[in-house]
This record gives sequence, C-alpha cells and structure tokens, in this order.
Amino acid sequence: MDLSALASQLLVGLSRAMILFIVSAGLSFVLGVLRVPNVFHGSLYMIGAFVAFTIAAWAGEPALGLALAIAAAPLVVALVGLVVERTLLSHLYQREHLMLILFTFGVMLILNDVVKLVWGADYRSILPPAALQGMASAFGLALPRYNALLLGAGPVVAVAMWLFTHRTRVGTIARAAAVDREMVGVLGIDVSRVFALAFVVGCYLAGLGGALVAPTTSISLGMDHTIIIEAFLIVTIGGLGNIWGALVGSLLFGVTQSVGLLVWPQFAVVFPYLATVIVLLARPTGLLRSVW
Amino acid sequence: MTVPVRRPARASAGAAVALLAALALFPVVGPAFAVYVLALILVTGLLALSLNLVLGYGGLYQFHHAVFYGVGAYTLAVAVTRGGWPAWLGFLAGPLAAALAGLLIGWFCVRLTRLYFGMLQISLGSLLWIVVLRWYPVTGGDNGIHDIPLPAVLQSVVGAYYLILAVVALSAGVLYLIVRSPFGITLQAIRDNAQRCQTVGVDVRAHQIGAIVIAAFFAGTAGVLYVALERSVFPNLLFWVLSLEIFVMCLLGGWFTFAGPMLGAALMVALRTVIGRYTDLWTMFVGIILILLIFFMPEGVAGTALARLRARGAGAGGRG
Amino acid sequence: MADLLRVEGLGKAFDGFRAVADAALVVPQGAIVAVIGPNGAGKTTLFNLITGLLPPDRGRVVFDGHEITGLPAHEICRRGVGRTFQIANIFPRLTVFENVQVAVLAQRRTSANLFRPAAGQAVEDTAAILERTGLLARAQAVAGTLSHGDQRILEIAIALGSRPRLLVLDEPTAGMSPEETAATMALVGRLAREGGLTILFCEHDMSVVFAVAQSIMVMRGGRTIAQGPPEAVRQNREVQEAYLGDAGA
Repeated sequence: MDLSALASQLLVGLSRAMILFIVSAGLSFVLGVLRVPNVFHGSLYMIGAFVAFTIAAWAGEPALGLALAIAAAPLVVALVGLVVERTLLSHLYQREHLMLILFTFGVMLILNDVVKLVWGADYRSILPPAALQGMASAFGLALPRYNALLLGAGPVVAVAMWLFTHRTRVGTIARAAAVDREMVGVLGIDVSRVFALAFVVGCYLAGLGGALVAPTTSISLGMDHTIIIEAFLIVTIGGLGNIWGALVGSLLFGVTQSVGLLVWPQFAVVFPYLATVIVLLARPTGLLRSVW
Repeated sequence: MTVPVRRPARASAGAAVALLAALALFPVVGPAFAVYVLALILVTGLLALSLNLVLGYGGLYQFHHAVFYGVGAYTLAVAVTRGGWPAWLGFLAGPLAAALAGLLIGWFCVRLTRLYFGMLQISLGSLLWIVVLRWYPVTGGDNGIHDIPLPAVLQSVVGAYYLILAVVALSAGVLYLIVRSPFGITLQAIRDNAQRCQTVGVDVRAHQIGAIVIAAFFAGTAGVLYVALERSVFPNLLFWVLSLEIFVMCLLGGWFTFAGPMLGAALMVALRTVIGRYTDLWTMFVGIILILLIFFMPEGVAGTALARLRARGAGAGGRG
Repeated sequence: MADLLRVEGLGKAFDGFRAVADAALVVPQGAIVAVIGPNGAGKTTLFNLITGLLPPDRGRVVFDGHEITGLPAHEICRRGVGRTFQIANIFPRLTVFENVQVAVLAQRRTSANLFRPAAGQAVEDTAAILERTGLLARAQAVAGTLSHGDQRILEIAIALGSRPRLLVLDEPTAGMSPEETAATMALVGRLAREGGLTILFCEHDMSVVFAVAQSIMVMRGGRTIAQGPPEAVRQNREVQEAYLGDAGA
C-alpha cells in the first residue's frame, strides 16, 4: 500500500474521530459538571440520527434536508435531555454514582423502546446532497467529501465549547462547578440552573453527533450500544471531565482503528480497545488531568 | 465470658430447605415451560448472587460481570465443539477459565478505585467481547455457536433442570459460607472502609482480587449451566448491557441481603417472560420499574422488607 | 530504655507544598509521647507517613530496630504499629463485635479463611478487647448507630485488635465533651500501664497533653523544632514563640 493511500486512510479515521469527539465531549462535560455518568448519552445520539432522518425525509430536497436536520435534530435531543433532567435527574444529584448509572441505564431502556415505537426496527439512511457525494482531493490525498466536512466539524465544536466555557458567564460557572462545587454554591449562584444547562449542552452534543453521522451510516436500533461504550472509554482515557482529554482520546480511538484496518482488518475494532487498556494501565486516571 | 454472637437464623435455614424441596418436586407437577423458566431463573440468580459478592459485600464497581459468565459459557461451547473435549471436562473448564479471567482482570482493576475501577473493567471486558465477536473460526463470531452436543441426560429440559438445581443450590450454599467466613467479614469491612482495613493489617488488594476470582468462578459456573439449558452461546452473553442488567437484579432484590439478588433475578426473568407475551416493549417496563425503585426503594425489595421487619422488632438490637 | 520508634529527616510534599519538611521523633519503649503544633503543622501527615498510608519522599522510619520506611500500611501494621484517625474511622455497617473481630482475624492471619463461619472465631480475644474498652454491652449494635464518643472508643478498640506494640492516636479526643475526653484519656493511660503499650498521639488540648505525655515533640511548618520532657518543652523559647505563645497554653 502506498503512502498516500495510508494518509487517506488516516484522514478517514480522523473524520470518524471527530464524531467520537463531539459525542464524548458532551459526555465528558456532563461528567465534569454534574458528576453523572450518563448511560443514555448513546440513546440521545441514536435519537439524533433518527430525528435527522425524519427531518431530511420531510424536507425532501437533500441539501436543504441535511442542513435542516443538522440544525434542528440536536435541538430536539436537547429538549429530551431537558425534560429528563428537570423531571427526574435533578432529584438524584445527591445519590451515589452507582445509583446515577442505574438511573441513566433505566432511561436508556425506556428511550430504546420509544425509538422502536416511533421509527420501528428498520434500517434507515439519509442520502447526502450531490455536492457532498464522491471524493474530494487535496495535496494528492483522496477523501470522501462528507468526511472532509466532518473533519471541519470537530474543530468547530472544540472552539465553540472553549468559547462557551471561557467566554460566557454561565459556561465559566459550569467550569468552576466542575472543579469546586462548594465554591459555586457559596457564591450564591443557582447551581440547579447551571446543572440543567450543562446537561442540556451535553445532550445537544450527543444529538449533534448523531445528526452528523446519519448520512454516513445505516441508522438503526442498537447504534447507541457501541457509541456509548466507546465514548465512556474515550472520556476515561482522556481524564474524566476534561474536554481536551476527550479530543485526545477520540483521536487515539480513530487513529488506532484506521491503523488496525490496514494491519489486520478482521480485528480492526480490537485496536482501539487495546489502546485504551494500555493507556489505562500506564496512566490509570487518564492522559490529561481529570477534574474529579 | 459470654458473648452475644450472631447465629444463622434457624428459620431461614428451614425456609431454604423447604424451598429446595419444593424446587426439586416442581417438575413432577409443573408444565415443561414453567420448568424451563424456573431453570433460567436459577441460572440467572446464581449469576446475580456471584456479582453481589463483589458488589454488595465487596463494594467494588464490578461493571462488567457478564464477561465471566460469557467466558464460562464459551469455554464449554468451544471445548466441546472445536476441541472435541468430553462434556464433563468442559463443565469443569468453564468456571476455571472464568476464574482465570477474573484473576487477570481483577489484578489490573484493583489498582484503581470506584469509577476508574469500573471503567478499566469495561475496557478489558469489551476487549474480550470484541475478540469473541470477531474470532469466527473459534467463537462463531456474531452468530455464536448452536446445537452444542451434550450428554443425553441434558437433552431434556427436566434433566437440565435437575443439574442446574443441584449446582445452583451447592454454589449458593458455598457463597453463603464464604459471606459468613472471616474472608467474608473482612471483605465487608473493606467495603465499609478500605483505609481502616489497611491499618489493621489487611492486605486489601489481595482480598479484593480473591473476591473477584471467586465471583468470576461462580459466574462461569452460571455460564456453563446456561449452556446446559440452552445448548447455544452468542456474544451478547458478554455484552455490557447484560452486565448492567445483572446490576439491576441486585438492586431490585436488594444488595445488602444474601438472597436478594436471587429474588431480583427471579422478578426480572418472570417479568420478561410475562410481559414478553404481550409486547416486545418489555425493556421499557424494566426501565420504568428500575427508575421507580431508585426513587422509592433504593434498598431493593428484600432490603426494604427486611428494614420494615427490623423497624417492627426495634429494640431487639443487632441485625438479622 | 530502647527506642521503639525513630523518625529521621522525614519529608513529604504534595504538588510542591511541603506538608512535612524535616521531621524527627523518638519514641522510647513504653512511653507516652505527644506531638503538638499549630493547625497545618503536618502532624496528621507525619502519622500517615509513619503508618504507611503515604510513602515518604525522603527520610527514615525505624521501628524496633528495623527500617519500615515506605512499606505498605498493612505490612507496617503487622509489625506492630496500630493507629486511630482524627475522624471516627470504623466499619459502619458491621456490628461493634465484627469491627474488632476483623482486626483480630487480620492479626491472626486468618482473614483469608473461606469456609469456617467467622461467628465462632477469635471470639474470646475480641470480647476481651471490648470488655477492656467498655463496649461489650453494645457488641451486637451496628457500629454506625453508636454515638460519636463511642465510635471514637471503638476506633481504639479496633486498633487494639491488631495487638500493636505502638499505638498511634490522631487527636483521640477531637469533638468530645469534657467528660468523654477525661474518660478517653484515662483509658489511654490504663492501656499504657496495664497493656505495656507504647503510645504516640497528637492533640490540640494542651491540658490533656501536659497531663499525660512523658515526652512532647513540637512541629511547625512541617519541621520538628523540639522534643523533650514537658517541663523542658514548656520553657523552650523557640516553642513558646512558635506555638504556645499564640495558642495560650
């Protein structure tokens, strides 16, 4: 295999890593600010993809449909998150992690069947608009156009998250709450609203990841199962609650997988897991500093 | 010097014997399908009991217990179908392989605490799951292995039921002894306060690894019993969703009681069977029940009942 | 009298903050030694370094002629160093009896015994300790339901379960009423006299320290600035400036 094919393969891996980053950044943000390991984060990703499908199908015209889907589907998902947070989750923040995990698992079971009720068990797909089909090439490297778009989406989200947590009042408070919750309470800030907002932001990112991945994959029940486990591992190797850690972890995941595809295709999916295990054994609390 | 020592309640020993007798007689009167469901409850119950040794008594975030169940089941299936081993050897090898997996995974995990312990276990366990899912020549990949040839005695549901009943009863008895042994008491002390245990001379990590190995052994035992009942294996046996379901069983029954997880498993399997007849949306019901439990009964059904009993008999002192 | 414990040049830093910079301490066999110093002087960190809960960055800890620096906590305990903590550090869901029994079983190296019921093991030793500490009547109570004072006593009982030769007590009377304080210190004195225990403790209450201790070590900013008999320490000018002056002894 020649060098440019290798580089193209890496680029595809990177573009996949961007989806993982967007999803795990949301998971990590919620973990950092609320200390909630949200198991139904993957279901939100799946719902994001299904809602994107419905919107795109309703719009009809592919370009408009995709644009609408990516704009609106994450908002629908964020709304689902808001409802769950306000009605149920907000009453449980004092409980142990174990209970929070089981609670979010319960929500996952429910959302799973809700998706089954609304969309059925069939496979769905979104056709990307003509402009985004086919291959893009630059510097002698070929890459599917849509993957090139994804490659750009990751950094946009990273910058947006940075601006949100450093340049807005609410984001700064959320970041402070991640490091020292007592202090924020003492300052007389309504922590409950900050938590709700942080949770909604996390859910939005899950939905965004789902909407963005929709045109590249078959949308189906069960797509939540792998993404959630991958996102949890990424967040752990990055350092719980550290969004830049989520970026590093996602890159590691995406790159090891695309390397694996070249080396040993049948076991390609094993490589990221192996990398995770090695990282955790070498640096048990993650590559970057955890906020826990 | 006379010391008021806690004695195992005679009443609960009597209840255990009566239950065992009823279970032994059940196939004589019960319909075959009920016998099958009961066998499934016993297998799942042993799995939940084994998790609870590390979860309820050990306080460890054993997030991926299903892996040991799967390793036990797959070891038997692979040994018999690919290795041509006699079935009895496979039945022995399953739990031992699971215990070995427990030793390996436990040895790494006990270096970490709480959520990190759980996450490392999920990554190690998922690694095994992925290998099973992809290693077609040996594990059959996502198809699994079906129609595993087993001795004629186990071809009938009733035959399998009696094997399962005998092994589960024996295993539960052994687990009960372990919980009441010096090791068991020390394990509970570690759960309550690991640092204090270190400073009274307990090698905390060694005890935790020991508990994981024992729990893995019995999970592997449940795994081979599952094969005896179903004669097939598939990758979902070591998928993380099953691990969380076992967790739910422990919570449902009550993880601070010995028999609670068995009760939780019975409720879950029964629910799935009953609700599954009317709708394929049964996981939604499990989700709703789980959330209700977390809000209203965090000590589980058995735990809550026990607390009520204690409250009624308050003043008697001590605990049950 | 031989030295049971010797600490030399011990140091420990956290993220650049030197909690213990240069600590020295001598505990003679059979003595009651107190460590005093203002808040943040590094007393608790020193105890954690001695008992193995933290590995020191530098320095030596010698117990009974053998170096124990950096050994794991359970190993140090097995060599004969027991301890209690500033906050009640017990096993809240176990009974009082089991709390002490766990320590006795560990001391006998039978913690790993899997199949014999624990209920019949180490009963007499455990009961003897409960009797000595006055907890026997509450043996079957769940430890978490005891009063704060009783939980602190239980802590001492747990420590006794490992049959220590040196008992390290971290502020044994913190949060106690005057009556409880008196009773606890009487118990500590009795344990030293009757059980032949060597005791090392730290304490805020100066009247307690000067009433009980035979030797006092003074820490400030992670350093040992003096150790000697109570009278000598009371008159040491550096000590008066550093501590007794503003603490109002």
